[in-house]
Amino acid sequence: MMTDIPVIQTTYLSKSYGSVEAVRGVNLSVRPHQITAFLGLNGAGKSTTIKMLLGMIEPSSGEGKVLGKRIADPAESVELRRKIAYVSENKRLYDYMTVEQIIRFTRSFYTDWRPDVEQQLLRSYELPLKRSIKSLSKGMRTKVALLLALARRPELLILDEPSEGLDPIGIEQMLESLVAQCGEGTTVFFSSHQIPEVERIADNVCMIHRGRLVIDASLDDMRQSYRQIDLTFSSLPEEKELRLAGVESIRTSGRQMRVFVSRNAEVVVERARDLHASSVEVASVGLREIFLETVKES
Amino acid sequence: MLWYKAWLETRSRFLFSLIGIVGLCSFNVFYGDRGALSYSKSEYYYRVLGAGHVFLALMWVIAVTLLMMGGLLRERASGVSSFTLALPVSRMRLMLVRIGMGLMQSIVLVIVPWSVMFLIAATVGKTHSFSQAAFYIALLLGGGSLYFAIALLISSLVEGEYTAPIVSYGIALALLIVFDGDKLRSYDPWRFIVGWLYLDRHTALLAGPIPWLHIAVTLLIALPMMTISIRTIQRRDF
Repeated sequence: MMTDIPVIQTTYLSKSYGSVEAVRGVNLSVRPHQITAFLGLNGAGKSTTIKMLLGMIEPSSGEGKVLGKRIADPAESVELRRKIAYVSENKRLYDYMTVEQIIRFTRSFYTDWRPDVEQQLLRSYELPLKRSIKSLSKGMRTKVALLLALARRPELLILDEPSEGLDPIGIEQMLESLVAQCGEGTTVFFSSHQIPEVERIADNVCMIHRGRLVIDASLDDMRQSYRQIDLTFSSLPEEKELRLAGVESIRTSGRQMRVFVSRNAEVVVERARDLHASSVEVASVGLREIFLETVKES
Repeated sequence: MLWYKAWLETRSRFLFSLIGIVGLCSFNVFYGDRGALSYSKSEYYYRVLGAGHVFLALMWVIAVTLLMMGGLLRERASGVSSFTLALPVSRMRLMLVRIGMGLMQSIVLVIVPWSVMFLIAATVGKTHSFSQAAFYIALLLGGGSLYFAIALLISSLVEGEYTAPIVSYGIALALLIVFDGDKLRSYDPWRFIVGWLYLDRHTALLAGPIPWLHIAVTLLIALPMMTISIRTIQRRDF
């Protein structure tokens, strides 16, 4: 049965290391059966947040639930990990095992293992079963890590920078697998700073910057509401005249102004006309521009 | 399957240690009594076995320290702890399996070399005694639990592939120095495991009953150290 109860829900989730606040009051809500991208620069707090969700790091404050289980409760954390497949940022696996051994080892912990998918991924990734993990390249290791996560039918799939180390074909296969998993009812939550990947497969985007969640919206909504408005004036008005709700940034150059809005583009255009703008150009923006603007402004 | 993982993780170190210890102990049985002085054959041979045990104990402490240098903290250094901690297994269980595997390997590293020494001695017609062998084994296993617990605790507190064993060996050495004084000598864990506290110098035999109380006290010291190790890992961020 499909429900709309968030698969991941955090309330003011924070993590500090001494005086450094890695994650600051994050209120995350990840909708079920969708693909949610977790965007952010290096060191923005993506991995720390993910590790808190998985019980690897204890939150300093705030709380979170994943699949209805409290992340800070060790017993509940074990339960929720039964239903989650996870691919870590560095994709490190046990060097002392072979590919075959680590598959056998991982398979033993989960009842939702799918041997048919395992075989299919082994073939498409061309993984050598008898080779030791130690001798694999980073790309091959990433493929093994992906196989271990994708050869199941988890309720939630969490991937931390899944495409890192993969060649273009590998990235393509991985993205297709994620879409397929989502189509079968798995919620996918993946961190990335590869905007094209996110634009291709994500339904929702959560953006974190300096430990704070700065965007949590559906990609379609963002595409519809974010606009870049280029204005030309014969006599430049003060910036504050255009600082309306939804205006994220204003840049001035000569007699021109570039206004970046997350909503209310039409209101800004109307105000610009009231201020006698000689030229008004409204352009839709991609996720890349939104990301860069948000990061700059935050 | 956690046992399988624990075995694969430690098997090289374990087998290398086992082969090394058995080889050197066997060599001691065959050649340790060369150039024997004019003791009675029986007494001299016990001296050989006693020396073999000291050698075994030294190698055992080194091997057990190395075997216990694993676990989540080491995995964190190599970046694989995220994979382990994402498994639906509690940290307590991870630690218990690791301790269990370590204990089994530690016991094998005492029993097998002593059995080999005993069997070789019996086979080639040299003097041997089951009760003496059992005494030495009890001392090493009972007293050795302290070294085992120290290695486990250090591996749970100190990061770094080389730092942790160096600290562990440093503590073992420090214990040797601290307990070298006259008043503390009878509590020296090293003198205990090598049997010097119970050795009759004239016969080269261990004398008296097996000191179960001393062994129990050592275990009572080792147990809280193991508990602290588990608690430390349970509370740590990875």
